[in-house]
Amino acid sequence: MQHELPHTVQEHASETFGPVPAVSAKAVNMRFGNFYAVKNASFQLEQGRFLTILGPSGSGKTTLLRMIAGFLTPTSGEIFIKGEAVNAVAANKRAIGMVFQKLALFPHMTAAENVAFPLKMRRFDARTIPDRVLQYLKLVRLDGLENRRIHELSGGQQQRVAIARALVFEPDLLLLDEPLAALDRKLREEMQLEFRRIQKELGVTTINVTHDQREALVVSDRIIVMNNAEIQQNAAPIQMYRSPENPFVATFIGVTNVFSGKLVKRVGDTASVLVGEQELSGQSRLGSSNITRFESGAAVKCALRAEQIRIAREGKPLDKTDFSFTGRIADVIFEGERQIYVVDVPGVSADPIRIFHHDQDEFATHHIGELVHVGWNTNDMHVYAGIS
Amino acid sequence: MGRTQTVLFRVMVTFAVVMLSAPTLVVLGASVTSGNIIQFPPDGFSLRWYNAIVGEQTLREAFIRSVQVAIICVLVSLPAGTLAGIALARYRIRGEKLIQVYLLLPFTIPLIGSGIGLMLAFGQAGVLGSLWPIGIATATINLPFMIWAVSSSAASLDPDLELAAMSCGAGPVQTFFSVTLPAVTPGVITGSLLMFILSLNEFLVSLLLVDARIVTLPVQIYNSIRSIITPDLAAVSVVFIAVALSAIIVLDRLVGLEVFLKSK
Ligand SMILES: Nc1ncnc2c1ncn2[C@@H]1O[C@H](COP(=O)(O)OP(=O)(O)OP(=O)(O)O)[C@@H](O)[C@H]1O
Ligand SMILES: [Mg+2]
Repeated sequence: MQHELPHTVQEHASETFGPVPAVSAKAVNMRFGNFYAVKNASFQLEQGRFLTILGPSGSGKTTLLRMIAGFLTPTSGEIFIKGEAVNAVAANKRAIGMVFQKLALFPHMTAAENVAFPLKMRRFDARTIPDRVLQYLKLVRLDGLENRRIHELSGGQQQRVAIARALVFEPDLLLLDEPLAALDRKLREEMQLEFRRIQKELGVTTINVTHDQREALVVSDRIIVMNNAEIQQNAAPIQMYRSPENPFVATFIGVTNVFSGKLVKRVGDTASVLVGEQELSGQSRLGSSNITRFESGAAVKCALRAEQIRIAREGKPLDKTDFSFTGRIADVIFEGERQIYVVDVPGVSADPIRIFHHDQDEFATHHIGELVHVGWNTNDMHVYAGIS
Repeated sequence: MGRTQTVLFRVMVTFAVVMLSAPTLVVLGASVTSGNIIQFPPDGFSLRWYNAIVGEQTLREAFIRSVQVAIICVLVSLPAGTLAGIALARYRIRGEKLIQVYLLLPFTIPLIGSGIGLMLAFGQAGVLGSLWPIGIATATINLPFMIWAVSSSAASLDPDLELAAMSCGAGPVQTFFSVTLPAVTPGVITGSLLMFILSLNEFLVSLLLVDARIVTLPVQIYNSIRSIITPDLAAVSVVFIAVALSAIIVLDRLVGLEVFLKSK
């Protein structure tokens, strides 16, 4: 197990400048037979940050997290925690706290016994254990329930016990595998804020796995989006939202319309494209390298967020938009805090376009079948390389 | 369920219960007769035959021996069956198919076959004539039941529980004792009581392994039947049934523990 440890640690340290990252993965692959569950994953995470791994079901999130925890050994590549290879340390000697998807609380113990368990196993001074347990139960707001057995606690309370158990021994790293997936929406949102509060309070480096894009945006300092076993983008939430690297990320986070088109020309950061019969321009996200690949006529995908499209009644022209088209309302969806118009714009897209309408004063002013103007600005449309 | 179905269901259940408990009821009835002949329905009511068996030293000693055998059987099968049951449910092991065949053995190999085998083995070893070989023999024959009980408990154990223990800092041994074992406790209790009852009742194998000095209760009853059948045998049988029944009640109580041991 200890093979080549000094060598790899040294090599790793010499490549890094500044402080050692809390977690770093280098070209990690996990293959089951011929199937890649995780493909060429590399990233670094700074000390004290909250990272969320976001992706659809089956994209390899759990597999990546379990490799970080050391429960799975990568087929190739390596993972380091504070500069030390994960698999060089026995599973029970690692300073990693983990909250499992199904919590995995010990059913035959009380809440307090669950939280005390890691302290006993890690040989903390027995006299300090009760105080410490209480301190962490307070942190997760469970004081008073310490003597309940696990099945006597609600789902949200069990969640908190699991968090306290993972944190009580002050791990270097906290791993969360979709622990909120089973909760109802209100409790889930409450727990998301709770996670953020506790993480900020303790400053523990945290990696959270979820397929809930909202959760990722709310809790994280950084987000890694995965799809088909590969990392699609690694960025801060705002950057991820504002400049998604590819159409997958653009559509996975937020509500985004995608049109297929052909490149006409590219000038600097602006790309002109032909979508349907319309020539539009948008922000080029074709990348700065191999420009030659993107000649005129190359297939592109244009992404446009629902909230960046404006809408107005026919005959009442849109001001301050670079492009505008006429469309017909196909559907009106009321979601409480916002209203979504689904609009057919035949000249631009075969699929209807989704548009958010936030204007309080004009709630539900357009009806199904009505003709409307829709429009947007050059900067709001992102142009990506498209396949075929 | 429709009304007709409910009625039909009730009738079927009643029928099954009557059929299954008929022999027990007959024995119970015959044991309280006040006459000298074993018969059903009983001739009057008295507990004189229960008095008689309490006074009868051979029966009492045979009963105690049977309990001793059953205890030895549990002591032997508990660690072996628990470990085997957990291993079978939790790990991919080589020769799993073979083990599954082994688990079916109690239903396929005639007891007389295993009994003779054990008799030869213990005879070779020169240990016949004491009680512990009988305990070991009943443990050997019935071990699959113990393994079953434990492995069905272990199969429902969340594998993440052991990973969680490890991430809490528990080594393999600590993980086993603090997480795995408590989780399979219901199965271990069920299996142990089952082994106790099976060993207590074991007749055929005991018959081959005992000699006149160490007869167990089932063998003793059998021996008495061969001479004259008196109502005291019915009384002994009732005591026997009562012991088994109380074991089941204990089981039910303890498996009430299962609620405690499960998370939801
Ligand atoms: N032990 C295994 N053997 C074979 N394939 C596996 C194994 N574990 C995972 N996979 C496959 O790897 C892929 C990624 O699985 P993983 O559990 O990491 O997905 P995930 O992103 O966590 O999905 P979810 O959101 O549904 O939990 C899946 O297609 C899965 O079927
Ligand atoms: Mg998963």
